[in-house]
Amino acid sequence: MSTAVVNAAVRLVDELTAIVGVENVLTERDEKLVYECDGYVIEKNLPDVVVFPTSTADVVAIVKLCGRMGVPFVPRGAGTSLAGGTLAVGGGVMICLTRMKRIVEINIRDRYAVVEPGVVNVWLTRALAGTGFHYAPDPSSQTACTIGGNVATNSGGPHTLKYGVTVNHVRGVEMVMPDGAVIETGGLCEDDPGYDLTGLVVGNEGTFGITTKVIVNLTRDPEGGRTLLAVFDSVDAATETVSGIIAAGIVPAALEMLDQLMIQAIEAAFHFGFPVDAGAVLIIEVDGVDAGMEKDTAAVAEIVASKGGSVRKSIAWYTRKEPEYVAIWKSRKSAFGAIGRLSPTFCTQDGVVPRTKLPHILRFINEVGRRHGIRVANVFHAGDGNIHPILLFDERDADQVKRVLLASHEILDECINVGGSVTGEHGIGVEKMEFMPKLFSPEDLAAMVALRTTFNPTGLCSPSKMLPSGAACLERKGPGRHSPA
Amino acid sequence: MNHAADHAADTLGDGLSPLAVARPESIEQLCDVVKTRAVEGTPLFPQGGRTSLDYGGIPDAAGVALDLRGLARVVDYPAADMTITVEAGVTLASLQDVLAREGQRLLIEAPRDAEATLGGIYATNTSGPRRFGAGRPRDQIIGVSFVNAAGEVIKGGGRVVKNVAGYDLPKLLTGSMGTLGAIAQLTLKVRPVPEASALVWGTVAAIEQVAALLDALNTSATRPIAVELLNEQASRRVADGLDLPHGAWTLVVGFEDNAKSVAWQVARIKEEWAGRASALATLENAASTPLWAALTNFADAAPGDVSILANLRPSAAAAFAALLDASRWEVGAHAGSGIVRAHLAVATTLEVLAPEVETLRARAVADGGNLTLPRCPTAWKKRLGVWGAPRADWEICRRVKAALDPGRVFNPGRFVGGI
Repeated sequence: MSTAVVNAAVRLVDELTAIVGVENVLTERDEKLVYECDGYVIEKNLPDVVVFPTSTADVVAIVKLCGRMGVPFVPRGAGTSLAGGTLAVGGGVMICLTRMKRIVEINIRDRYAVVEPGVVNVWLTRALAGTGFHYAPDPSSQTACTIGGNVATNSGGPHTLKYGVTVNHVRGVEMVMPDGAVIETGGLCEDDPGYDLTGLVVGNEGTFGITTKVIVNLTRDPEGGRTLLAVFDSVDAATETVSGIIAAGIVPAALEMLDQLMIQAIEAAFHFGFPVDAGAVLIIEVDGVDAGMEKDTAAVAEIVASKGGSVRKSIAWYTRKEPEYVAIWKSRKSAFGAIGRLSPTFCTQDGVVPRTKLPHILRFINEVGRRHGIRVANVFHAGDGNIHPILLFDERDADQVKRVLLASHEILDECINVGGSVTGEHGIGVEKMEFMPKLFSPEDLAAMVALRTTFNPTGLCSPSKMLPSGAACLERKGPGRHSPA
Repeated sequence: MNHAADHAADTLGDGLSPLAVARPESIEQLCDVVKTRAVEGTPLFPQGGRTSLDYGGIPDAAGVALDLRGLARVVDYPAADMTITVEAGVTLASLQDVLAREGQRLLIEAPRDAEATLGGIYATNTSGPRRFGAGRPRDQIIGVSFVNAAGEVIKGGGRVVKNVAGYDLPKLLTGSMGTLGAIAQLTLKVRPVPEASALVWGTVAAIEQVAALLDALNTSATRPIAVELLNEQASRRVADGLDLPHGAWTLVVGFEDNAKSVAWQVARIKEEWAGRASALATLENAASTPLWAALTNFADAAPGDVSILANLRPSAAAAFAALLDASRWEVGAHAGSGIVRAHLAVATTLEVLAPEVETLRARAVADGGNLTLPRCPTAWKKRLGVWGAPRADWEICRRVKAALDPGRVFNPGRFVGGI
């Protein structure tokens, strides 16, 4: 490295330290190691510096400094994302928002909360306990993931079928633009005049700026619900049940499926009582006013039986603290963790198909797995058609890695072929950029690039993410560098 | 293309006549028209059912109207997926008919639904009483195609209910007032028609009591899908032809779910309101349909040519409604959502109205919201500021406009900050 580069690097660290204090800057390799990737472990890169702002003013100063020095920067929450959205492509400064973690305001009467981006999803739920309200989006990683990260990726979770995804629950954001300007979109009230910038900003995967505050909707708790564990001999019977429930005019709060391999892994880890010999299970949750529950539950049980399944458990709940309720959801939401028992490494996909195409895509996944010699476990949001095939492999074996990537791509291509998408809730990140031209035309992508340029004209903020190079966008050239293609 | 029909109705709104009216019958034809006209630098004005042509700022210049009613195909309706893809010119009523055959519905309401098109509803972000429990148009849309000034079809989102690939253009186009392009096609989430539906109507004498009841409703054991507030003039208009009681204020609460749930909720709300609201009436199932429609149509039922719309925190809705002199204003609010609409029922002058609007707007802004004028005589628009108090984020809106429609081809001058 030339003296000039070394001097610039030293100056960058010095100035960052001056902004946030020495306790909020990481520069040593071993300290930074955890920040080299997110849940997508196939691509890794160390940021040059990791910095932890504690206020919006800190973020403003950091991005202005990066702008002056021409250094790329990337925001990061808890790093639970699964598509490399927080990967520090080309190094630069990682702005880690986990120390901006205040719940600024909770307003029950007006049904909103104002939170900083580093607030962990479940903290808000806990802070709301006893109020009769909750924050609806509950990604499976909710005990770790941050609301800022949820906003960046427009996170989903098991309850989106009835309650929608993150964007449906965000009223406004405060964002530091890449030039250091602070903007507020939306607000405490609905229907502010102007474009729905909040709707546009949610899901931007960090490519517009750094979210420093979020106004979220609070949702009235249902009075109660029933959570059923339905057991089937085959995945087909389970997916037919999903269609049957929808056709009967019932919109469950959650409709989750696990296949046999997944059931076995979860049962070994949590001993909930999942039948390890079953071909598939469904977790079916209905909620609402208690007076209506029996009727919906009976209707669901009838459909399950008509497809050859049986209801193994029916958990009535009112507080979501009932031990069996807690246990079944802990098992479901920890599914990825349970996979550790089966394989040293895994790669999960996030394709979406029209709900009616579920039987087809599951058969396709099995066939692809067989052909590439890769074991695949399935746990997914069946009600939304959002699949999560988990491909098991050993990352030390280069050939296995290659086969996993091939298999993943075949699965995602098939999702597109049947009219779906390559990501329902994890985002494009770096992982799925190459699929964007399959989903969108060059004109579509040019419009998205134009929007990104509006917010992020220099491209220093989260370079080489979401939009592939070529379509008039920024191309990855090398560490710390980028140039218009 | 048929350029001949009903010229009498051809207008751009605000008294402007179109240079011409194009009536494309396919998205390809729409692209061709836009390409030809945009090259000439002619402003383009997308139109749907022409129910809101005067809405917004005064256009900068006349141009060509794009009558999109010819784009009226249902493109794809996989009922089991609970989604539907339609062209922008499909009317709300005809869409609901198609959905009803499968026992489904779209959770969007708009006045004059036999004329109002989905493209128009989305461009203007129109909503009705069910927004409280079922969400707004932004919550039902999952995919959009629009034609930009280059005559290209731009697509965002997709046809599956969950999809985070790319920026959320469907949200951006929702409420964009036709200023980013001509919305050509939409993919929407639909829902099963619930087994039962009920509206409970209760009159209340004092606004303080209304506010207390609204506070209580926030944590009611019931889970309403609609919470509406009407002053007496508005309740008489809404209940026209229905045998319902009237008082200084009327609260209307809607429930939709399976029959057992709805029956329980109706009984429960009567208990919760006992001694606090009087003259309770309940309309159930088919009997509730006309009242649901009347509550929706109130938005368009202006007796005069001035309407105001305040977006507030829900806790402020009752007090704000009480600021409006009942002898002059018909007030109807989606109170659960903090949306208060009022139609001026008497003749007025700009000199009288301007300070009143200013005072009300200041109050709304102080609450974190704003106050716009969905209806306003053209000559008064500039002075009254139809889009409300300027917001800091309008600068970003201008940049978004410049990114997607740099030549200001679509609806120039109609939207916030002169967009």
